Amino acid sequence: MKENEIYEKMKKAIIEGNKDEAERLAKEALEKKMDLLKVIEKGYVQGIQKVGELWEKGEYFLPELITGAECMKGAMKILEPGLKKAKIKTQSQGKVIIGTVEGDIHDIGKNLVASLLAANGFEVLDLGADVKLERFVEKAEEAGADFICLSALLTTTMLGQKKVIEIARERKMRERFKIMVGGAPVNQKWAEGIGADGYAENAMAAVRVALDILKK
Amino acid sequence: MAENIKTIKEYEIELDQKKILWTLGYKKKLASINESLSQMILEEKARLNFLLQPAAIYRILDYEETNKHAIFQNAEKVVLCICTIGPTLEEESGRLMKENEMLRGLVLDALGSEAVEQVALQSEKIISQESKKLNLWPSKRFSPGFGKWDIMEQQFIFQMLPAQNIGVSLNESCMMIPRKSISFRINLYKNQSMGRKQ
Repeated sequence: MKENEIYEKMKKAIIEGNKDEAERLAKEALEKKMDLLKVIEKGYVQGIQKVGELWEKGEYFLPELITGAECMKGAMKILEPGLKKAKIKTQSQGKVIIGTVEGDIHDIGKNLVASLLAANGFEVLDLGADVKLERFVEKAEEAGADFICLSALLTTTMLGQKKVIEIARERKMRERFKIMVGGAPVNQKWAEGIGADGYAENAMAAVRVALDILKK
Repeated sequence: MAENIKTIKEYEIELDQKKILWTLGYKKKLASINESLSQMILEEKARLNFLLQPAAIYRILDYEETNKHAIFQNAEKVVLCICTIGPTLEEESGRLMKENEMLRGLVLDALGSEAVEQVALQSEKIISQESKKLNLWPSKRFSPGFGKWDIMEQQFIFQMLPAQNIGVSLNESCMMIPRKSISFRINLYKNQSMGRKQ
């Protein structure tokens, strides 16, 4: 089989949410000693981008979006040892620190954002839920992060997003990170009011907003 | 704590597939659902017996026993209730998500949301029947955080009910733990039209 045909199959496996096939093809790429960067960029990345497009058009729904991300993650896990061995560094879109703010234990939305950012080439460090506000800034500094993503699902906890921005400002680190916010009670107006760099109303929008911020 | 506190633990939970799909984002195109997702929903539904611990605790207060918040005004009595499906389902959903079974975790979470809604609905029904025995008319159920009832009023509900008896607690942000819990009040009126107005 020609390489281009394999890339096409990889893309198709992601679009169709066929995890077994995506992983089988990743193993095949390793066995055939294919160029792993091309495998990722011409195969899997094309697939996840198409899934995002279909979702934006309303043809795909959350389950298809998530399955695409799962397939991508599964294939990347298989390719990882090969990438390390060949000392290949995949091009990261940026490093993201993500979590749900202190006092809030909701984590589904945050997990979806983390998963889709990872599937779209971001390096994601998920701090979990109910995260101490200072910890976001400390971890971002420690990891040399590009983004801090803050989730809050309650009107009582969304204030935590504002406080994290204030902490970054107090520590004179505000300009170092792009800060994105999201969650049920949050909107664009709130994001602008607290001085966040971006607001995303859903997981796919988070990917788009992060990529747009990088372009600026 | 007053003696007129009641606990319900017997529920028959029937989950509507359409509502689950709605929660998962399929607002219109139900026909486009693939077979593997339908299968996954069935598989997770089959596990619910082991994952749900439905329970509710409620208490009927005289108006004078309430904190006299404006939303209780004109009520003869007020029922406060806390419902839950327990922590197991959300623990399992979290475990699945961590293990890159994101969709399965999400399906389970959607089932949990619908299950706790069922517990609240059935509890509401039991409370309504009880109120009719008292010759009082129930309003709809309202939860803190909706309308004019601030989320901080959760604290009042938790002061009035020993929620720990059904394994529910409140954190400093007034969020209930387990997450799949619902608290609400129902006002009881002497006059049927007052109940309907609310």
